[in-house]
Amino acid sequence: MDSSPEAPIPNPANHAVSVVAWDIPSAIVVGEKFRMKVGIKCANECDLANTEFGIFDESGTQVSVATLPAERWPGTVLHVAEVELEAPAKEALYTWSVKVRSTSLKTNSEPEGEIVHAEESINFGVRVVGRPEFMVTVETVDAGDQRPLSGARVVMHPYRAITDEGGIAKVRVAKGTYKLFVSQTRYVTFGLPVEVEGDMTARAELDVEPVTERN
Amino acid sequence: MAAKQKDRKRQGQKAVSRRDFVKSGAAAGVGAAVLTTSGTALAQGVSPVNAIRWNYEADVVIIGAGCTGLPAAIRARDLGASVIVIDQNFDPGGKMLHSGGQISLGGGDPLQKRDIEGKGDPEGFVTAPRQHSIAELTEDPDFLFRDHTDWSVMDAAAQAPYRYNERDLHRAYADNCYATREFLMANYVRMGRVSGTHGNGGMSRARRAVTFLMEGAATDIKKGTVSTKDAGVAGKSSSHFAPRLMEDGTMVASKGARTNGAALARPLEFSAREKGVKFILNRHMDEIIREQQFSGRVVGIRASYSPRFDPQNGAQLQSLWQNGNIDDRTETIYIRARKAVIIGAGGHGANPQFRSMFYPAWREPAFVSSGWALLGPRGQDASGIIAGMRVGANLAGMQQNLSYASTFHFPGNLATRDPYTDMLPGHPTFSMRGSTGINLANDSYQHLIVVNQVGKRFFNEMLITTRQGGAAFPAGPGKGQPRKGLDHVQLDWRNASAENIRATYSEPNSIHAALAINEGSKAPDFLSGPIWAIFDRAAVERDHWNIEPPFTSPTNGFFFKADTIQELAAKIRSGHEFQRVPLTYLAETVAKWNSFVDKGSDPEFARGSDVPMHRIDTPPFYAATLYPVWHDSYGGLRINGRAQVIDMQGEVIPGLYAGGESSGGGNQHGLGRALVHGYIAGTHAAKDGTS
Repeated sequence: MDSSPEAPIPNPANHAVSVVAWDIPSAIVVGEKFRMKVGIKCANECDLANTEFGIFDESGTQVSVATLPAERWPGTVLHVAEVELEAPAKEALYTWSVKVRSTSLKTNSEPEGEIVHAEESINFGVRVVGRPEFMVTVETVDAGDQRPLSGARVVMHPYRAITDEGGIAKVRVAKGTYKLFVSQTRYVTFGLPVEVEGDMTARAELDVEPVTERN
Repeated sequence: MAAKQKDRKRQGQKAVSRRDFVKSGAAAGVGAAVLTTSGTALAQGVSPVNAIRWNYEADVVIIGAGCTGLPAAIRARDLGASVIVIDQNFDPGGKMLHSGGQISLGGGDPLQKRDIEGKGDPEGFVTAPRQHSIAELTEDPDFLFRDHTDWSVMDAAAQAPYRYNERDLHRAYADNCYATREFLMANYVRMGRVSGTHGNGGMSRARRAVTFLMEGAATDIKKGTVSTKDAGVAGKSSSHFAPRLMEDGTMVASKGARTNGAALARPLEFSAREKGVKFILNRHMDEIIREQQFSGRVVGIRASYSPRFDPQNGAQLQSLWQNGNIDDRTETIYIRARKAVIIGAGGHGANPQFRSMFYPAWREPAFVSSGWALLGPRGQDASGIIAGMRVGANLAGMQQNLSYASTFHFPGNLATRDPYTDMLPGHPTFSMRGSTGINLANDSYQHLIVVNQVGKRFFNEMLITTRQGGAAFPAGPGKGQPRKGLDHVQLDWRNASAENIRATYSEPNSIHAALAINEGSKAPDFLSGPIWAIFDRAAVERDHWNIEPPFTSPTNGFFFKADTIQELAAKIRSGHEFQRVPLTYLAETVAKWNSFVDKGSDPEFARGSDVPMHRIDTPPFYAATLYPVWHDSYGGLRINGRAQVIDMQGEVIPGLYAGGESSGGGNQHGLGRALVHGYIAGTHAAKDGTS
């Protein structure tokens, strides 16, 4: 806990709650189902299993309700839930939110005999796209020895993919103009403007990034 | 004082061939003057010469066992002088010990000649092919001198570094490069093939060679070998011998060669000890003593005890080698110099008050000079320069800090206070830094954002660690010259033409943005506060970062992990020494960044055009410092071509020499400049008139 003068003085019966949202697909096809993760914790590390939370769309309408399992996200004390949602029918970038309502928890240990968990919410973006009609096949190799690079990240915003063991990634995209990026650890990111009007193939030759000299 | 210490002291005094100070006549002719000036002198904190009881004396007294002090000591000793070297640290070597060991000399030096003739070294270690054509290696001292004083060269920061170099200094430099290279080779220093040139080592010829030792069963300076343990194991350990991992030298010497500054500093230290140079370590010079404050000869120094202790077990740190050490633990000692005092005390990069003379934003004390843990809190503290000023010395080249890209910059090493020196466990000072740091390639910055002390972004993260090279061979448009390689023309007005400057000017401004006054800065100093890289678990996994110890430390306050961004901000606030205000905007900044990623563009700092953007949303979240470093410093005591310190009237201060980063007037990065200064200073100091 922050003990600095600027931090609010905590009320032992009032516990702050934090919400985190992640693993949201970068491009979701209209009307399709998608999954994401929600993590929620009490600053005092109370057990929040079975606490209810809601997902709300851009208009504030609740689109899903779920409860937290006892399971915690590795390396944290966040209770983690995976929720399934359905994308809207219209292409756009929406701002949705996860909200956990204020809850009371009876206890014998707190002075007031009751702990209040404050309401908390977090926004997240939902990028809804039309059904992508074309397949872009990206072949990624080391520019020096022409060896395939697996695990390289292929980004044609908002579409993303990872190359397989043969250095190949297949990205299904809508017709349009993109900047195709391929990045890989210790290599200089490859960038290429591409116009997609049909299925296509691109080859990315990545140069090793020179090591900065310290002398 | 314990008998054992007394004994050590006695041995030390005996070894430096004592001479009776009074009989030497230093006081004759100045005694009356001292009587009248000592009151004033005392009021100014200056030691009255006649009242001093000298604890030690030697012909030549050298302040600093680094790349000026060690060659000066050996050279003076070679010429018959008795020599005492003091150093504020517990081990000799200074910054040279953690350097890359790259030495640019030139002017037709022995290594250029060796490569031209296609020869190797007498020991047969250097078998790698020559890296340059004969034309790229052929020159003479006149040619080198012109390169170092070429008014027409503009670097990529549109500065004219050579224009301001002191001519006398560089004439002497050019005339002594050959002898210095030869001197190094005669003192166990092995160097590989000539390869390019250092920043500001000249644009016209290749002059740089790196020092190496051959990996072997045991470390043996005479045989030229270093054990694997001493050379270090990649990703795991460095050693007391070499605080930084020694690198592969196959390309410049042969398979098995390990390179860096340890292969320079340790051989010089070994040679100095072998030749009878005496070392008083843990000893900080506080005053240079002159007969009168602004006149007469320099006759000695006052120095205080400056031991360092392991913060974990309290043990006092000891030098790697002990022979020739005088272990004196008296609080204050006076050392008389019969012939000369040489200041090789390093620069001012770690003195926030001094460096802020050139750049007020650098008053922020959080940021250190490279080698901070190795050198300790008093390394690079400007004490040599300040002590010289107190006896009337002039300064030179004070503006040249602003014209070399590595003076201050972002080395790009996260989670450590000393981002330049990537030390691994194994050196006695590792526990003082606690972490090696997460050394990221520039491309990896796409996975993080960088925020200031209130938690706001301030620059395009992809440009933060970029910096341009100094004017160096091979010349070319990227280094501020219009023509490439051997086509560079000395003293040609086209080098400085407006067209060329427009074509090459590319000052990286991230350092200035990072040091700027921001919302948390307060009067009177408006300190910028620390700088933080913020990232998530997904970044660590995606780009394969090693964020475990020893690369980070869970306790040194330079790396934090939290379940949420709000908690991360709170941990930074309470756990980092220089975080003086809350990171009020951090959660908002991360949320805004994620919305930019969703949109595919960064309207604030134009990320996204060169590399993809990635959300920062997967717990746990991490914060690691991204500190700039003040690496080397230019500007210091004005010296002449004999390395004698010059006063405000343009006259020599008798008996006082300086070199390396304690001196100014030569904008040249790296070891070459300091080594030549040391060689010259040692040469002249040994012959200086006695008092």
